[in-house]
Order: sequence, then C-alpha cells, then structure tokens
Amino acid sequence: MFSEDTVLLLYEITDVIIAGLSNGSVYALMAVGMTLVYGVTKAFNFAYGDLFNLGGYFAWILIVGLGLQFGGYFTVLLIVVPLLFAVGYGLEKFLIAPLRKRADWENRAMMLTLGLSLFLSNLYMVVFGVKLKNLPPIMEGILELGEIVFSYQDIMIFVMSLGGILLFGWMLNNTRTGMAVRAVAQNPAGAKIVGINIKRIFAATFAISTVMVGFGGILLSQKLFINPTAGGAIMVKAWVVTAFGGMGSIRGGLYAAFIIGMMEAFVGWIFGMSYTIIALFVLLLATLSIRPQGLMGKGT
Amino acid sequence: MIKVSGLNAYYDQFHVLKDVSITVEENGVVVVMGPNGHGKSTLLKSICGLVEKIQGDILLNDASIINLPTEKIVNLGVTYIAETRELFPNMTVVENLKLGAYSKHARPYEAENLELVFDLFPRLADRRGQFASTMSGGEAKMLAIARGLMSNAKFLAIDEPSLGLQPNLRTEVFNTIKTINEQGMTILLVEQNIPQIAELASKVYVLEEGQITFEGSKDEAISDDHLKEIFLGM
Repeated sequence: MFSEDTVLLLYEITDVIIAGLSNGSVYALMAVGMTLVYGVTKAFNFAYGDLFNLGGYFAWILIVGLGLQFGGYFTVLLIVVPLLFAVGYGLEKFLIAPLRKRADWENRAMMLTLGLSLFLSNLYMVVFGVKLKNLPPIMEGILELGEIVFSYQDIMIFVMSLGGILLFGWMLNNTRTGMAVRAVAQNPAGAKIVGINIKRIFAATFAISTVMVGFGGILLSQKLFINPTAGGAIMVKAWVVTAFGGMGSIRGGLYAAFIIGMMEAFVGWIFGMSYTIIALFVLLLATLSIRPQGLMGKGT
Repeated sequence: MIKVSGLNAYYDQFHVLKDVSITVEENGVVVVMGPNGHGKSTLLKSICGLVEKIQGDILLNDASIINLPTEKIVNLGVTYIAETRELFPNMTVVENLKLGAYSKHARPYEAENLELVFDLFPRLADRRGQFASTMSGGEAKMLAIARGLMSNAKFLAIDEPSLGLQPNLRTEVFNTIKTINEQGMTILLVEQNIPQIAELASKVYVLEEGQITFEGSKDEAISDDHLKEIFLGM
C-alpha cells in the first residue's frame, strides 16, 4: 500500500514521538517541581538544575561508585528520595527561611540560590571531577510491537515520571499536608489563621520540589550525561518550560513540558539537535509576547 | 477566659496598641468598638498570634499564650475570624471547611463539626462543591465564620462579621453569634453595624488611638454620651 520509503519515514516519526514523550515527561516532572516551589514559597530557585545533578550523582555513587547490586534502581530510589527530601528541607529551613523576615527577601533568596548553584557545581567538580558521568539504563532491551520498536528505557522513563507526577497530584488533593500546601499557595494569611505551620509547609514544599527535580535527574542522566557545570543550563530549560506553561500553574507546566519535549524531538530530527535551543526560545518569546502570563498562568 | 494586660503592639515603627488591658469572661460576649484604624483588629490578631511584634501579657485560663506561634494558639482553642475572610479561593466550600479543622485538637471532631456548621448555615450545605472564589460576599462571610467554627475553638475573635453585608444577612450573622454563644462559646467581637449587638454584650470596650477609653456594661455603654457622640452622631 505504502512505498518502502514512506514506511521508513513513519517508523522514524514514531521514534521521534517516543523520544519527545519520554523527554517531555521528565520536563513535566521538573516544571511541576519548579512551579510548585515558586507558587508556594514565592522563591525563585537558581540552584534547581544543580539539584537535578544532585539526584544523578547520588544515584551514580550508589550504582557505579559503590557498585550496588541488590534491587537496582528500586533500591536507589529508596535511598536517594529521602536523601533529596532531607537536602531540600534543610536548604529551605537553614538558608532561605531566615531571609524571609526582610521586606526584599525575594531578591536575597535569588542571590543566595545563585550562590548555592555556583557552590554545588564547583563541589561536584571537586568531588566527581570534570569528566562526564552516566548512569546505566533502568531497563535494557527493546519492546517490539509489530514493526515499531520501543526501548524499555524510554518506556520506563515515561512511566516513572508520569507516575511521580500522578503520585504528587494525588498527595496534593488527598493528604492533609497536600491540602496545607495548596492552602499556603492560595492564601498564606488564611493558612496561618487555620493553624497551618506555614514555615514547615515552605520547607516541605522545597523538599518535594528537590525530590522531583532530583528524580528527573536520575531518569534523564541515563540518556544524557551528568555534567557538573550543566546545572545552569538545566535550570534555564526547566524555567523555560515553567514560564511557557505559566508560573504557578501545574496544569500549564504539564502541557508545556510535553509541547516542548515534542517540539525539541521534531526540531532535532528535522534541523539537527543544535537548533532545539533556538526553537525553544523562539517558542517562549512568541508565547510570552502574546500571553505574558504563559499558557495557563494567572497573570498579575 | 482571656485576660490581656499591658499589651503593646507595633507594625514596624508604628505603635498601634498602647498598654491595652481587657478581660473576656468564660462564655461572655465582649464587644470592642472604636473608629476605624485605631487598633481593634490588631487587638484581635495579637491575641491569636498574628502580629509579629507584641509585648505585655495574654493569658488563656491563667497560661500565657503571648508570642506562641499561631498554630499552637489555634490548637489551644483560640481562633481568629478575619474581617477580610482570608478564604482559599480555588478550593471548594467543603475543602475550606476541612482546612478549618486542620489543627490537631480539631481533627477528631471534623465530621461532627461539619454537620454542625451545615445545620447553622444550610446555604453552605447547598454549595458544598462550589469554589470559594465564586461565592457572593454574604456567602463568603458565612463560610469564613463556619471555617472558624470548624476549629473546635472555645474562644473566637470575630472581626467585623457584618461589614459589607445587607441588613437581612446582618440579622443572620447576629443570630449565629447568639446561637454559638448560647452553646458555650466565648466571643470577642469587633462589631458596630448591628444595633442589637449590645443586647448580647456582657461587656463593651472602646478603643481609640490604641488605648482603651471606655470599659463598662452594655447599659453603661448605651447611656454614655461620648459613645453616642462618636458612633451614633447624636
């Protein structure tokens, strides 16, 4: 029915779509984490990309450094997720919260996280060296559906990031802490009145966002490399997705992540990978010039 | 019983409350009056731990609660109901109410209190799935009061509950306050738009420029010429 060329083209397009979906799902994880921390604590986190790397390095220490055999990534997550949570909680509680007493604390928090980013990337270079590291795939092999081939790694990345987001969404709507997080995001004064310890919610939110981006780091570092100095670029990527979706809007972040994941995959396939970053900013600028608040942001 | 003595409150350098002392007896309704911007809300907020810089003493049944974090004070059964409502706009009526029962001591009574407030405000029961942001001013006010009741408080500090409400809703608010007081609630109230409120008052205070300038029973308040002058223009 179709010529051989057309069939090959269709397979290629399928591959591109799968790559777009799997990258998009990790971007979604990162965008939700970023929009969450901004929506609740109003603090912009410049070290966000370095926390992505932190997840990657933690996993690398366990798998490659210590040669962890038992349970693979399941054990890794069991150890790394609480670690990331503790790091995020501590960062908020000891570094950012003390700034909050001042009127211009947002600027100070930005400078502080910028400094933290420099500190972490240099720390990574000292500890792990400048050589790029990478993680083994979470699952090897391929799944063949007729003529179409999926790698298990892509499937697992997609399933696990989506699972992470769904779990997070469920917690936000069905647990007491989740309700409190939403309450603080919507009205901190009201949250205080009903007896929510808002300082604890700020720290917990920062911790959850650290887990999300660090988890993203564990997943994506299997396809890319862990680069000690790439934190800034990763933060910019997460920020572009978040701003495109609308700061503070979780749903907007989700849509934006998949649109950008898809766009990157297609632009990379048609024009080459070096054009993806250009396309990314063209898309962002075009969107923001029409809708300054992003796709689903509330505006000011 | 709440006993405030020698309370000073500041917003930045601004000295809002100056040596304020008031007592709210168990099961009493104490009404605070005074011109706007003279510290009535600050007094209520100070008691509930919502003002950063305060000095003096605030006793709840002989235990000092001054400078405790708000969540501890709420957990001791002292709740503030804001004039500005402070609802959660993108949450439903039920979610707002459930958050009212967030504090530890209120959680076991959540279901019970939910029924209670729906009895008290049937209109909220009809709108249980509606977002707070889509409610009318009167409904939002009721939701704010109902959310306060969800905290299972023994002491409520209610800030201008009738402000911006039409007369028939003011009567409803008045009846609600009367009912919850009869059920045993101790109430500290800032209110000057409901003429009948004096009937309920066990005591009246007037706060002017951050100082208590009048303290007395409702009869003394009604017969005071100075009070009539400033509030009724008589």
